[in-house]
Amino acid sequence: MKTFIISLTFLSFLLLIGCNSQQNQLSTDTDTTSLVKDTVHANRVKKIFYNVPSPIEMSSVIQRSGAVFRGDVLCSYKNVEKYTTPSKQAIMLGVYGADLSYVRLFEQIQTAINYLSSIKKLCDVIDIPQEQGSLAIQRMEKNIDNKDSLLQIISETYAATDSYLKDNGRGNTATFVILGGWVESLYIASQIADYNNPSNKEIIDRIGEQKYSLSNMIELIKAYPEDKELQSYVQPLEDLKKVYEEVNIEYVKGEVKTDPSKKLTTIYSVAKVEIKKETFEKIKTLAKQIRINLIKY
Amino acid sequence: MRTIFIILMLGLINFSGFAQCKGFTKKECVPHIKPFTYNGQLNMAVLNPGDIAELIVTFYKGQDYRLFVCSQENLGKVEFKLLDSDRNTIFYNKEHDLVNYWDFHSNATQQLIVQVRVPALEEDLPVVPSGCVSILVGFKE
Repeated sequence: MKTFIISLTFLSFLLLIGCNSQQNQLSTDTDTTSLVKDTVHANRVKKIFYNVPSPIEMSSVIQRSGAVFRGDVLCSYKNVEKYTTPSKQAIMLGVYGADLSYVRLFEQIQTAINYLSSIKKLCDVIDIPQEQGSLAIQRMEKNIDNKDSLLQIISETYAATDSYLKDNGRGNTATFVILGGWVESLYIASQIADYNNPSNKEIIDRIGEQKYSLSNMIELIKAYPEDKELQSYVQPLEDLKKVYEEVNIEYVKGEVKTDPSKKLTTIYSVAKVEIKKETFEKIKTLAKQIRINLIKY
Repeated sequence: MRTIFIILMLGLINFSGFAQCKGFTKKECVPHIKPFTYNGQLNMAVLNPGDIAELIVTFYKGQDYRLFVCSQENLGKVEFKLLDSDRNTIFYNKEHDLVNYWDFHSNATQQLIVQVRVPALEEDLPVVPSGCVSILVGFKE
C-alpha cells in the first residue's frame, strides 16, 4: 500500500510535467490561418507549424544581384555584452546570425570571426550546450576561409539551437531568435537595394515576397500568448503587414511535372511581384524602426 | 485502486510523449536532409494514428527544396502531401510508395502547405501508439 501511494505521487508529478511541456505544443491548435479552409478541417489538424526563410536564403539573392559589401548596414558585434536579458540575447543571436550570413557571402574573414565570437558568447549565456553551440562554432573557426563549410556550420549551429530550445520547452526563446534573424535580413536587403537599379530587381522582388513570410512570422509569435515581450512585436509587424497589402503578387498557376526517377517535382507557376517605389520606401522605413527596437539595449 | 494505477500509467505514457522526442529530429532526421541545407526550424510533434499536422512554408522562385518527413517506426509509414494555397495537391507520397522525402523546384515564389498524416489503426489496440513526427525543409543555395 505504501509503495502504491509513493508510486501514485511520483506519477502525478510526472503527469504535471508532461502537461506543462505539452502547453506550447497545444497552444497552436487554436490558431486560425487563412489557409485553413473550414472548421471541419481545422478540427482534424492537430498541429500547425509556420516557417520563415532562413537568413541564408535571404542573403543568397543579395549575392546574385552583384551588390557590393556594405559593412555599415550590419549591427555592431562589439555591443554583445550590453544585451543582458534572455529575450534580447536570443534576438541578437538571430540578428548576428543574419549579419554573419551576409558577411559570409563577401568572404569578409575578419568580420566573420568577430560575429562568430559574439554568437559564441550569446550561445553560452543562453545556456545552449557547448556541443550544440560553441563547439560547432569552434569548427567554424577552423573552416573560416571556406565559404561552403561556413554555410554548413552556420545552418547546423542554428538548427541545433532551435532544436535544443524547442526540445526544452523554450519555444518562445527560439521564436525570438527567428524574429531577430528575419527582421535583420529584411533590414539589410531593404537598405542595400536600390529601387531604381534594374540589377536590384531580384532583391526588390524578394522584399515584396516577404509578404508571405511576414504572415508566418506573426503566427509564430502568436503561438506564445503568455510571453508578453514576444507579443509586443505583434503590433509593429501588423503595421508592416498593412503596408505589404500594397504589394501585389500576381500568381498564375502552371503545370506540375513529376519525375519519379529523380524524385523531383517541378511547379511551372508564374508570379509577378508589383511593388511601387513609395511602398518599398515605407517597408524600408518600418523595417528599420522594428529593427531599431529589436537591437536597443 | 489497481485500476486507477493502471489508468494513470497509461496517461503518463501518453503525456511523456514529448519528452521521448527530445533529440529525435537532430539524431534521426537532420542527417538525411543533406546535400540540401536544413532551414534550421524544428517542426516536430507527437502524433497518434489518424492525426494530421501541417507546415506553412514559402518556396522561393528558382530555388530547389527537399521535404523530409521523419517519424518513429511504431507509427508506420507516414503520408505527406504538398498542397498549394487553394489546397490542391501538388505531390502525394502515397503515389510513390510512401517515400519519406521528395525534391521540389518552383518557378514562382509561393506559399505552400506540407500536410502530414499518420495512418489510422487497422484494428483496435489496447494502447494507442504515439510517436514523434518531424517535417524538415532543406534548400540548395
